[in-house]
Amino acid sequence: MGFIRKLLPPEKWTFPVIITVAAFTGLASYSFYISNAPSYLGDKPETCVNCHIMAPQYATWSHSSHRETTNCNDCHVPQNNVFSKYYFKAKDGLRHATVFTLRREPQVIFIREDGKEVVHRNCIRCHENLLTDSRLMLYSDKIVMDRKDRKCWECHRETPHGRVNSLSSVPYARVPLPESPVPEWLKKTREK
Amino acid sequence: MKSVQDIVKEKPWVGWLLFMVTVIVVFLLGLLASSIIERRAEAVFAYSPKITFSDFEPRDAKWGEIFPREYSSYLKTSETNFKSKHGGSAMMDVLEVSPELVVLWAGYSFSRDYNQGRGHYYAIEDIWKTIRTGAPSEQVPSPQPNTCWTCKSPDVPRLMNEIGVAEFYRGTWDTKGSEIINPVGCADCHDSRTMNLRISRPALLEAFESMGKDITKASHQEMRSLVCAQCHVEYYFNGNKVEGVQYLTLPWSEGTTLEEMEKYYDNIEFADWIHGLSRAPMLKAQHPDYEVYLTGVHASRGVSCADCHMSFISEGGQKFTSHHIQSPLNNIANSCQVCHREETARLLEDVYMRQDKILENRAILEELLVRCHVEAKTAWERGATETEMQPVLNDIRRAQWRWDFTAAGHGNSFHSPVETGRIITSGITLAQEARIKLSRILVSSGYQGEVPYPDISTKEKAQEYIGLDMESLRKAKNNFLEEVLPEWIEAGKQRERSYDLTE
Repeated sequence: MGFIRKLLPPEKWTFPVIITVAAFTGLASYSFYISNAPSYLGDKPETCVNCHIMAPQYATWSHSSHRETTNCNDCHVPQNNVFSKYYFKAKDGLRHATVFTLRREPQVIFIREDGKEVVHRNCIRCHENLLTDSRLMLYSDKIVMDRKDRKCWECHRETPHGRVNSLSSVPYARVPLPESPVPEWLKKTREK
Repeated sequence: MKSVQDIVKEKPWVGWLLFMVTVIVVFLLGLLASSIIERRAEAVFAYSPKITFSDFEPRDAKWGEIFPREYSSYLKTSETNFKSKHGGSAMMDVLEVSPELVVLWAGYSFSRDYNQGRGHYYAIEDIWKTIRTGAPSEQVPSPQPNTCWTCKSPDVPRLMNEIGVAEFYRGTWDTKGSEIINPVGCADCHDSRTMNLRISRPALLEAFESMGKDITKASHQEMRSLVCAQCHVEYYFNGNKVEGVQYLTLPWSEGTTLEEMEKYYDNIEFADWIHGLSRAPMLKAQHPDYEVYLTGVHASRGVSCADCHMSFISEGGQKFTSHHIQSPLNNIANSCQVCHREETARLLEDVYMRQDKILENRAILEELLVRCHVEAKTAWERGATETEMQPVLNDIRRAQWRWDFTAAGHGNSFHSPVETGRIITSGITLAQEARIKLSRILVSSGYQGEVPYPDISTKEKAQEYIGLDMESLRKAKNNFLEEVLPEWIEAGKQRERSYDLTE
């Protein structure tokens, strides 16, 4: 407590300090608002196209059979427990945000090694029965090999995004890109 | 520990440092905020084309300059070389395949000419050529109203915007011949500013209103079916809405199932025509594709029309929605197999199996309906009274409505085989009910034995049987195509040239 008290400004400075700190907080919350930050806690696929460079991924998913049963997070973040889910999400999300903000995105986005592992495990999570034969109850080399020495999409190459995913691969695809952050009531006053 | 104030008092440079650090942090925060805004703004134009044409541009080629892939795939709707077991992209004379239909539609223009249509590319050409629209000239108007143009062209929303909806419908079909010359195309489904899907036809908007639903709440996925439902639905011409206008109306206020629409028509005592043989007040089902699709398993799993009929394709590293709207059977890999990982031949077999079984019973119903009409005609000839015939005619009306409902939508037996099968079954029951009542009437009039089934083995024989003079109808049509039509086209082209000047 003593330490905090040391940081507190002297009485006569209270007013300018309040204004300054509030300006900071305001600017920070503005960034928070225009970046749709709260949406990142949820699972909606629309969140991923907050960055428009994800449009090819969104468009290909929404034209695939996986759109009926999965969202982005079902495959691309770990689903084994809530901690690893949010840890991975935060880790990946912050990297993506940094790359996007610095405009360092490549023309063709490839998934990274740890991302691959997550997706592979998630394929198995739902399609487990395709890989095991419960009637046999025995250890089969083939089952282990198929799961461990290759990734599902080495054969299922079109699932679900297809093979070509450059930033310009879906010209004019209709994806739910973020709308103007200006609230309706403000727009209305402007129209008048 | 000293307070910050004391430190600054001792070493003023610390104060300056604090000041500079704060300036830098706020500056960077501001940069971050503007970067976010900039990248958001990018999204608006990164996926929005720069449009150089007006809101209601009816010429697809203009849109095609900006959307070459979509446009060139759309042009493939001109192909007529695909043939499936029961359909395909080529024109098929349905009356020739099933001459029974001539008798079912006696007294109605469909008995003159009915083809399975071709792709959207031919929407205008085919309505020019069909005998149903008659052979208008300066002396003789077309038997059809302008309402018939409604589903044929992006010139329709353009003209509706210019003169109003009811005024568009007003008058006979020939009076707007030079206004409507472009076949179904871009502006029918797309908003030219955003390229989002939009509803351009008032009938669907009004139908949603009549059901108390808000179509603007539809999701993008629903819109991928609703733009098709602007035309591929059951409709009728309401003569009571606006004085002297055949107002295009979807009979949906009770609901969209066969029974609910029947109730709607019964409530307003509507009949499309009085049958030429049986004198029954008939209903003509148009093409309730969307309504039947809604009752099927694909609809309940969230699959839209575009998912199968306009598949997502890849061409030269670009992925886009194919605008070659066609039978999914001509592109099973990009339609069925997106979800169903079966062999192509197996999938085809599944479709044909459903179609064959439905057609088997539909053919039975067709023959029964011919018998109904012929037997009713005989009953009238032998002096049956209105009161006696009234319940019979009602059965015939309902039975044929059921038959037509399943036959008019060419995809019904696959879109919803169970519902389609159910409808045909109830149609067969109603037709037999009518015939039981008819045989009582015939017996009481002293008629012995079976009423002979007419020789309607070919389209020509059937048309002769119901008393049509096809020769002169065809001659008049050819005359129209040679004399009048070129004038329409020339006047339309002339009008469009003036668009370019004003742009």
